[in-house]
Amino acid sequence: MTKQEQVKAIFIEEAGEIIEKLDVDILRFEENSTDFDLLNEIFRGVHTLKGNANAFGFTRLGEFVHHFEDVLDYYRSTKEVIETAQLELIVNSVDVIKEVMVCELDALPDLPNDYEECLEGIKSLIASKKRGSVESIPVEATATFADLASEFGLDCPDQYENDMTQSIEIMRAAYQEGMQIYRIELTLDTDSYKRGFDHLIFIGLLAEKAVSIESFFNLESVPPLDNFSCEENYQNKMGIVLLTTQSRAEVEENFEFLFDHEYSIQPMEPVSQPSVTVEAVEATVESPVAMETPKAVQTPSAAAKPSPGSDISSLSNGAKSTIRIDTFKLDELFDSVGELVIAQNFIAQNEKIRLIEDESISRTIETLSKITKRIQDRVMSLRMVAIRDTFDKMKRVVRDTSKKTGKELHLNVMGEETEIDKTMIDSLSDPMIHIIRNAIDHGLEADAAERISVGKKVEGNITLRAYHKSGSIVISVSDDGRGINKAKVLQKAIERGIITGDENLTDSQIFGLIMQPGFSTADTISDLSGRGVGLDVVKTSIEKLRGKIEIESKEGEGTTISMVLPLTLAIIDGMLVEASGEIYIIPTLSVVESFRPEQEIVHALKEKGEFVSLRGQHLPIIRLSDVFSLKAERIEPWEGILVCVETEAGRIAIMVDELVGRQQVVIKPLGKSLAKLKEISGGAILGSGDIALILNVDALRPVIEGTHA
Amino acid sequence: MEFDGDALTIDLSMSMEEIKEFEAFVRPRIDYIECIEVEEGGMLKSSALLALLASLKKTRRELVIPFLEKGITVSPTYGTIHWICHD
Repeated sequence: MTKQEQVKAIFIEEAGEIIEKLDVDILRFEENSTDFDLLNEIFRGVHTLKGNANAFGFTRLGEFVHHFEDVLDYYRSTKEVIETAQLELIVNSVDVIKEVMVCELDALPDLPNDYEECLEGIKSLIASKKRGSVESIPVEATATFADLASEFGLDCPDQYENDMTQSIEIMRAAYQEGMQIYRIELTLDTDSYKRGFDHLIFIGLLAEKAVSIESFFNLESVPPLDNFSCEENYQNKMGIVLLTTQSRAEVEENFEFLFDHEYSIQPMEPVSQPSVTVEAVEATVESPVAMETPKAVQTPSAAAKPSPGSDISSLSNGAKSTIRIDTFKLDELFDSVGELVIAQNFIAQNEKIRLIEDESISRTIETLSKITKRIQDRVMSLRMVAIRDTFDKMKRVVRDTSKKTGKELHLNVMGEETEIDKTMIDSLSDPMIHIIRNAIDHGLEADAAERISVGKKVEGNITLRAYHKSGSIVISVSDDGRGINKAKVLQKAIERGIITGDENLTDSQIFGLIMQPGFSTADTISDLSGRGVGLDVVKTSIEKLRGKIEIESKEGEGTTISMVLPLTLAIIDGMLVEASGEIYIIPTLSVVESFRPEQEIVHALKEKGEFVSLRGQHLPIIRLSDVFSLKAERIEPWEGILVCVETEAGRIAIMVDELVGRQQVVIKPLGKSLAKLKEISGGAILGSGDIALILNVDALRPVIEGTHA
Repeated sequence: MEFDGDALTIDLSMSMEEIKEFEAFVRPRIDYIECIEVEEGGMLKSSALLALLASLKKTRRELVIPFLEKGITVSPTYGTIHWICHD
């Protein structure tokens, strides 16, 4: 990837983050449309997005966002109460922004259907507002305000500063060893054009030796024609952000014919400084220019000098700083820590080392073990993020679905702080959206009348909850609606040929039928759910994350669909078992129970293999020695141990010689030849240095050969 | 510079002398120019032109200047140039 592509990738990622935040914030604003601080925050995000979009040629997005920004700017400046219709337009605009972003990224020629309509709506809104404000404010007053603002340099200071700061961050992202980042400000005198100095001359000179350069003009102080002459410079301040390999002295040479007060050059740190609140800076530093690197400002400019006693480093104490890291690098680090854990286990369990009876060696090994565990935990935590953002996004889904279905509902959110692997978070949104839509569309009663008729409040309840349970993370979506009608589910499953009707299914297995492909009990298909293509996709998505779906439901009371997920994708909690001298790992998430069967409950049927009767259920017995063609003396099932596991096709009993223990193992990918074995999902290196295979229980099928009584 | 009906098309690559001529031309006609377009492929040579366009927009808010409203231009000679101009 070239440097420019890298910068573009960062832009795209940032734009995605801004839009995600926008989606959440706009909903919060809809709830409280007098929260102008929040509106300011939304405005800043939109402004940054506009810059990013235009800089990378996403002109359609840029144009839309430009006009949207005007609307936000109007309301944040006037603090005018936003009427419902206009608020709806603003919320819809965010939807359009999301869709246009997709069009831009995929270089799609067609724009979303709502684009033109929404854009026109925004334009008309801002035009009507501007007409109104021009009519209501006398011309003289406008001129006076403009003059005062100009005199005191108050024109869009935030926007100018924000733009410069944003640009510096972009340069930091592109920074490489041997480069320098400079923040340059030109404050050319009014007669600079007459003296032959144009801002663009300097920008051009700097650009010749630049790796990257961005310039910012503030045209707010340019007067109307009556007071204007193009020979005079009205741009009392413009900024340049420069990424170059040149030294400060070399950069300064470009300005040798200017007066000292007409320029300032400020070298910037190549990495972000800890964030400092504006209030804190204002309290101790006179000049905002001095915020970044006060010592480096050498241009004799009064404004650039730090005030006596101002110590920026002291301000940063306790402030949080963050850096953006490629997740690939994190994965590599995680992988290396996995190797470290294996090596540490190897040392701890090595027989030869154990035989050395030396207290200092034992102590050192113990310390190494503790430190390794600490490193492992800390590295693990780097990948973990709170599920709050995902839940925030779901609020929008709930709101939109509620509006579309016309159902009044209340959303309860619990456990937002629960942390989950970042890789999983990205894959969780779609399944969650589908489950939530399903819960509102089909889970809740059809209308208020139906709810009242069964003694419930008109307002339905949807609860999103995240919590830890037995070493797994559970994310559940509950509704207080009708509950699943088991008879209807069974009838539909028989109609669709999913079951024959002879099966003796538990409640959990009946509920599980709604996750089968093509299954839908919805009488009508809506654009939200009910096509029968969704819940099986949800199941598949969750299983790809090595998780599973659990459904609980009580007719008339409601349904809870839970996604049970491992803590991380890189580590698995496994049950170690031994079969024919080999160690295998069964994911603990699938294990129901293990037992040594009595001879009476084991049966063998010709051409159907061995079964064990467990509380009225007949579970097929899977001999690992048969599946993997292991040479071993054949023992009877009642001489071994059966591990009952839950699979896609129902429960099975895996026959093993011994249970070795339970352990968290780092998953290692298999080579090409072993990857073809569908019964194995990965490998792991044990503390002893031995390799164990992780079983893919969904692919285990009995091997029908000999029969045993 | 081309004047077609109520739309004026200008070249971005104006020198200071040309900008002065443009200013002189547009001053008496500001009330009936609806739109100022910019020719494709041009490159800014002076910040005075940006200032003049901003001044025109401030003088007559209905005047449409798409280039000014974009707020950004990118060129190999100058890199990326942004401007803030709320009318």
